[in-house]
Amino acid sequence: MKKYVFQRIIFSIITFFFIITLVFFLARATGDPLAELENDPRISPETIQKIRAMFGLDKPLYIQYIDFITNMMLKGEFGYSIIYKRPVMEVINERLPYTLALLIPAITLSNYLAYKIGVEIAWRRRSKIGSAILAFSIIISAVPYFWLALLFLYIFSVRLGWTPIFGAVSPGMSFNWSWEWFADYLYHYALPFTVLVFRSVFSYVLYVRNTAVDILGEDYVNVAMAMGLSPEKVKYDYVAKNALLPIVTVLGLRYAFLIDGAILTETVFSYPGTGRLVFEAIYGRDFWLLQGATVILALSVIIVNLVIDFLYMFLDPRVRYR
Amino acid sequence: MMRIESYKELWTVIRSNKLSLTGFIMLIIIVFIAVFANYIAPYDPYQRFYPPFQPPSPQHLLGTDDVGHDIFSQLIYGTRISLFIGFLSAVIGTLIGLLIGLFSGFFGGVVDNILMRFTDMWLSLPTLLFTIFLVAILLRSSQYPMIYGIILAIALTSWPSVARLVRSAVLSIRERAYIEAVKALGASSTRIMFRHILPNVASILVAEVVYRTSYAMLTEASLSFLGLGDPTTVSWGMMLYYAMVRYAVVLGYWWWFIPPGIMISVSVLSVMLVGMALEEYFNPRLRSRY
Repeated sequence: MKKYVFQRIIFSIITFFFIITLVFFLARATGDPLAELENDPRISPETIQKIRAMFGLDKPLYIQYIDFITNMMLKGEFGYSIIYKRPVMEVINERLPYTLALLIPAITLSNYLAYKIGVEIAWRRRSKIGSAILAFSIIISAVPYFWLALLFLYIFSVRLGWTPIFGAVSPGMSFNWSWEWFADYLYHYALPFTVLVFRSVFSYVLYVRNTAVDILGEDYVNVAMAMGLSPEKVKYDYVAKNALLPIVTVLGLRYAFLIDGAILTETVFSYPGTGRLVFEAIYGRDFWLLQGATVILALSVIIVNLVIDFLYMFLDPRVRYR
Repeated sequence: MMRIESYKELWTVIRSNKLSLTGFIMLIIIVFIAVFANYIAPYDPYQRFYPPFQPPSPQHLLGTDDVGHDIFSQLIYGTRISLFIGFLSAVIGTLIGLLIGLFSGFFGGVVDNILMRFTDMWLSLPTLLFTIFLVAILLRSSQYPMIYGIILAIALTSWPSVARLVRSAVLSIRERAYIEAVKALGASSTRIMFRHILPNVASILVAEVVYRTSYAMLTEASLSFLGLGDPTTVSWGMMLYYAMVRYAVVLGYWWWFIPPGIMISVSVLSVMLVGMALEEYFNPRLRSRY
């Protein structure tokens, strides 16, 4: 077990280094970051030299790489945001809580619902309702997050006026520990959260269902039925329980997918999270901000994966006693 | 090559499932629209009409957008770019995945270990986020995102699942008797891989290319929606991007933001359903699932 824990931690660290290296080489080695300035006749070569020295771009590539890693890992420095005129890390720190508060409840609820629905429609796979839910979930997985969000925004905010049109809190409301703030926050939270959960539940139901259907075809399920166990017992103790493991395995992937969903959903609702920050960075051509958001979101994926690996240990005794 | 009987069998599989049949028919219609876009669309998608923001009318079936483009014509032309980017990036992504899976499964050992760790790392990352990052990097050496840059970026983030799939197929094929026989005859590794193993994983690839196409179409739409589309082309995602930044939703211009979303959903759905049918056809074990 110790070996397993150790292995997972090492793998996570390697993955993080891999991502940073990837980001560095893609960002630095694919071209001169100052190429655009060099073509500008208004900027003298001396100024460009100065900028080069300022950012350490005159050093050899491997020193730049070491600088890059030490700046990120030790100082938490991700450069300077052009649109916010502040350090990137400061901006991300402000925005990250909003996204995590959206993602973690959303993934918990959507997995729970998808698991329940998936097992249920696998159990009733020959019934009308089973096929109808299956067809519906296939259709929903073809609908892009952002369009679903636009549609919900149009129906619930613009037409019905039930929810606000943008933001995480009303304009002018600043954060304080009060019920008033919390109620306002929930009022803004409801719609983006619903879109995320709705879309991700149905894009996952198919997978849960197929897993459960495969289990229904196993001999031990037949034996259990032949032994005369009640269908309820077979459904919950034999099918649902065994379907849990393959589902936990893909949790990390699901979290990563949900980040993609959050980027699109937050953009539509002008929700001030890290996902919206990605859009703002694209819109304002703010490369450092995009790079920072990418690394931090990827880091959150690594941490979630590590937590899932440990969760696996409790669910699967084979891992524990290896 | 597939024989006539296999086409017949494929047709039986498609016909037996209402969803597959619907997907198949929808896909034919969509491909038809893409090919004959210039005959179907009433106007040039770049032609400007006055006034902008027109509601639907007999002249402009779905009205006009903020600069006076005919939305219906843009919708028709958007089919081309969606299918083109989706299919091409799926093919490239699948080829990358094929090569990595083939090498990994065939050589095993250290090669397999390194390649699969690498694959797992890619797989665990948020796909769209890294595609955005790749496009943003390509953007630095050009004024705007280019269509081939977008294709490359989507392809580079879509191969890992193909690599895993191919690898597991190769692992089982590698152990078969005929491979041993070919080895005994002294065939080179390259020959065994490409001549004797590749044809046996080809069937997986057909279904996978179609599946990847549907995901790539969604990714392309998402990129365009976030403002990373090629502005010299018309795409559904970009139509929605302009609709969003020009407040079409708040202003209630439903004819501007509802149709592109329906087009994306319907075309992605049809490709997805055909992919499912192909997967069932090549893997009869799955047929019992439905």
